[in-house]
Amino acid sequence: MTVTHEKEFTDDEKDILQEIMNIAFGSATADLAEVIDIFVELSVPDIKVIDIATLPDFIKGTIHTYGDTSIIDQKFWGDFAGSSLLVFPTGAARELVEMLMDNTSHTHLEKPMVSLERESLIEIGNILIGACIGKISELLDTFATYSPPRLINDITNGYDPHMESYDPSHKAILMKTLFKFEQKDLTGLLLILTSQESIGWLKRALLAFMEQYE
Amino acid sequence: MIFSQIFDMVDIGIVILDRDLKVSNWNRWMAKHSGISVDQIVHRSIFEFFPDLDTPSFRRNHKSVFKFGNFAFFSQKLHGYLFPFKANRTLDSDYTYMQQSCTMGPLRDENSKITNIYIMVQNVTEVAAYEQKLIEMNIRDGLTNLYNRRYMESRLADEFERHQRYREPFSLIMLDIDYFKKINDRFGHQAGDEVLKLFSDLIVSTVRKVDIVARYGGEEFCCLLPETAIEEGILLAERIRNQTEAYRFTSKDNSIKVTASLGVAELRKEISTAEDLIHRADAALYRAKATGRNKTVSMTQVKG
Repeated sequence: MTVTHEKEFTDDEKDILQEIMNIAFGSATADLAEVIDIFVELSVPDIKVIDIATLPDFIKGTIHTYGDTSIIDQKFWGDFAGSSLLVFPTGAARELVEMLMDNTSHTHLEKPMVSLERESLIEIGNILIGACIGKISELLDTFATYSPPRLINDITNGYDPHMESYDPSHKAILMKTLFKFEQKDLTGLLLILTSQESIGWLKRALLAFMEQYE
Repeated sequence: MIFSQIFDMVDIGIVILDRDLKVSNWNRWMAKHSGISVDQIVHRSIFEFFPDLDTPSFRRNHKSVFKFGNFAFFSQKLHGYLFPFKANRTLDSDYTYMQQSCTMGPLRDENSKITNIYIMVQNVTEVAAYEQKLIEMNIRDGLTNLYNRRYMESRLADEFERHQRYREPFSLIMLDIDYFKKINDRFGHQAGDEVLKLFSDLIVSTVRKVDIVARYGGEEFCCLLPETAIEEGILLAERIRNQTEAYRFTSKDNSIKVTASLGVAELRKEISTAEDLIHRADAALYRAKATGRNKTVSMTQVKG
């Protein structure tokens, strides 16, 4: 491997990360089926190294192609740190309620639909994000601490990607995956953004991951 | 050991569960608030003691934390509480149970394998009560305890949208106390305030629970009447007017005669905005004032 700037990400490193994400998401799919009883198909993740300065526009642009959306935002920290955005089309919430609510209990009759929808979005968002981050962390031999997920209904004024505090000349790693709930015609988008501080650690962890096989 | 001291010392509940949802440990805080000692509960299923916890959602989250090592959050806003502990009375709040913010997370052995999960239980009753109070203060009028104008307007906007979609009838009454300035001048502002309060109570006790009564400004009030056609709106307005006239308003030793004028409007096709609806009711109210007061006028009696 060639010596590069600490914050630069080489093609080799990108390839390893791609491989790790493939393994991670493969095993997340199997485990998710067990946890939520729903088969969630995760597409092969697309990894981008992107200038921090262009990130907010990139995220907005990517999400806007989805039209009206409900977005779950969750931060995680540790060696591997960053934030993730889970984007559902509006209307998905209603389907999630149907999937998750147990018809034998009567809680779904006592609460208004709006709160059930919020509850389901946040719960499923938390589990999906946790599954993906958890699996990646496991492969990289670390663990993450999570902040509570937040539900954002309007990206234009509700979401602050916290980019202002970052040096805009630096780069971030953005991982993008599409997911699909099998029994339902329900798809969404997952974005994982690695914080600038953890890139140095990530490069070392990727190297360590490769060394197991050398 | 310093670390094990923290477990029982902190002012926070900590529960440790195993894979089968049996309690491995629980700290002094949990014992104190539940009245269940650690010896009584350890190695027993948490559901034996807290059957209401046994929900698909709780089981799902427990499984998820074991599988992925992620966290699960049970916020006060969505869940109120996980463990039904009695609330200390705070700020006159009506919480029977302690409001809790709970987090579930993984615990690993030396090989990084998840063997247990913890639940942290934070008492947030006071914060929740403050928040509740702030919300109330923000939407209510301090003197009459009716909703304020801002809240009424936002609800009116919601109702207007709902009407556009479902076309259910919707009416609105604007009410104004007659010669209120004279009451203030003759009996003083305290008496005026007293009349405003009594009049507010009278309206609230006359309308249905689903109706929204707001103080629109000074001595002007507004009732939003969902699923109500104008004929019923007029009947209700008349009932309020009659009861006001019959009611004995008293402040200190003064008996004060109070009457009100009312304007009623209904949402119809030709009314294109919420403001327009208020304007129609206002115009009807103005007509009631101009033609002798102590009367109800419908928007159908006023030329557009």
